[in-house]
Amino acid sequence: MTPIQIGRLLRSTITNCVMGCRVTEMDAPAFGGMVRIPQAGGLQIYGLIYDMTIEDDGLVRQLVTAENISDDVILDNRINRNVPVEISVLFIGYAQGGEVYHLLPPRPPLTLDTIYPCTPEEICRFTAAGRFGYFRHLLRAADLPLGELLAAHLQQTAPLHTAAGNPAWLSAATQELITLLRDDYPRLMEALATLGELKFLI
Amino acid sequence: MPVNFQQLREQIHEMGQNAPALQAERQDRLDQASRLLNELANDLPALTELVGRAAALAPHLRCATPAAEPLDLTAPARPPDPHLTLLAADGSQINPSAHDSVPFGVINVGVFEMHPGQGSPPLVHTRSRLLTPEEVFTDHGMLGEEVVALMRDLREREELLELARQHPVPVITLTDGPLELYHEPQDNARFRRELQHYTEVLEELAAAGVVAAGYVEKSRSDLLVRLLELAQLDREGRLAQAGKDRPFKFITDIELLRSRIGPGERSAVLGIQTAAEGHFTGRLAVHYFYINVSPTAKPYLARVEIPAWVAQSQPLVALLHGALLWQCQQMGAHASPYALHRAHEVAVVRLDEKQQIEDMITAELRRQKVAVEQKSHKQANKELPGKRRRP
Repeated sequence: MTPIQIGRLLRSTITNCVMGCRVTEMDAPAFGGMVRIPQAGGLQIYGLIYDMTIEDDGLVRQLVTAENISDDVILDNRINRNVPVEISVLFIGYAQGGEVYHLLPPRPPLTLDTIYPCTPEEICRFTAAGRFGYFRHLLRAADLPLGELLAAHLQQTAPLHTAAGNPAWLSAATQELITLLRDDYPRLMEALATLGELKFLI
Repeated sequence: MPVNFQQLREQIHEMGQNAPALQAERQDRLDQASRLLNELANDLPALTELVGRAAALAPHLRCATPAAEPLDLTAPARPPDPHLTLLAADGSQINPSAHDSVPFGVINVGVFEMHPGQGSPPLVHTRSRLLTPEEVFTDHGMLGEEVVALMRDLREREELLELARQHPVPVITLTDGPLELYHEPQDNARFRRELQHYTEVLEELAAAGVVAAGYVEKSRSDLLVRLLELAQLDREGRLAQAGKDRPFKFITDIELLRSRIGPGERSAVLGIQTAAEGHFTGRLAVHYFYINVSPTAKPYLARVEIPAWVAQSQPLVALLHGALLWQCQQMGAHASPYALHRAHEVAVVRLDEKQQIEDMITAELRRQKVAVEQKSHKQANKELPGKRRRP
């Protein structure tokens, strides 16, 4: 099956990137979702969506003052006008030669590279490799809504592992987070409080 | 040198001091004109006869002529037609300049296509045309801004015609500005050729039953006021002074009608008395009405120009009126046709885009081993970094 692209890269560094996507493509990406950016030579860069921004402009600011905005105008603005949704992605590792590495990619992806959502198989393969080394990238990044991002990631990933016959993955991931944050009590409490919102953890 | 604000401050102060007296004088003239409008609103045959007599005395007379509706008529809008196709066009151009390294021009036309309430997303169409150095130079020198502007107006109409033919009626084509063109110099052969083609396209739109309309904001037109001036002069036995003596000078039609037309309403449709040798005659003779697009009690009037064959059809005037009002309602606080704004967004050529095109042309010419001149020193100096450019 042909993978569905969700956007193209606008700018990147070695740790993260921002991609643009049309509003009509907004169904695919979700906060905490895992994405893949294919590179030359079989390199696949993996990342987690940690922010989404929808920019306005002068016309949109004026249109919101209208009493009733017609569907035609809404469709025009979402389909035709050049106001992309910006999605920020934190790099959490890469795969090359059949091996998964929870390390930063060798080089950042380039402008207009295509970005795809990860399949359940790709997510399970990446997150089950090693011992949750990719958590380091989340814990190191400043200004992230860490608890919310971890909760979203676990909420989306745990059911995939359970369906794949690995129900212990969630418990192991939580234990690993507690270990990594054991010396940072405020962040640990914040993370655990947010994880407590997940129905299947209660 | 910066502006001498001290000198300007004194002049602004003086202007402010004179303003109340001028305003009072103006209000007096406006009241007189308004009273005359009330008196004569239904005397359409007499007014038509009056215009005929005045035109015989002053061949270049230009004023409103009564059509079928009382002059003080106001009419509410209908909801937009559920089967309507609306096409709005706008254009922009790069005028050739002898100061550039390669003299070239570009005409860029954007058309916004909309089918209100029919569930399909609007479409945008763009057509860009390069005016090569061979086209830019004529026997009389470089193409002037007026000719390029007319070429742009013509391309807008051609694009509208091409797209309009793809849809069943009712179709409305909308452009920004008047239908009637005033560009100078009208004695230029190239200009006359383009203008002739322009009216031919309008004829083809008419033949296809496609409504053509020009939307004019902040109109300073005073044709209705000039008609009332004829009546005033006639009463004073001075009709021979028609067009020369202006009893209601500086009063505009919008000022006269502003308090009469309610939110969403339109005025009467009026014709225009103009010189017989004009290009816009017969079924293309320009007519117009005013529409109050303001959603609030504070009126905001725009002028809408239409050809005679549309003006003579009440259903088509109602169709256009409803569509325009609906368009303006989409824009919120600054009511103006949404489709025209979008066409402008699509068409506009920015200064940096002009530079990109010039770079593309010089690169191509150099690839072909053709010598390229440099920009004028004056232009190069204007583009020095740090200099703020006018938009």
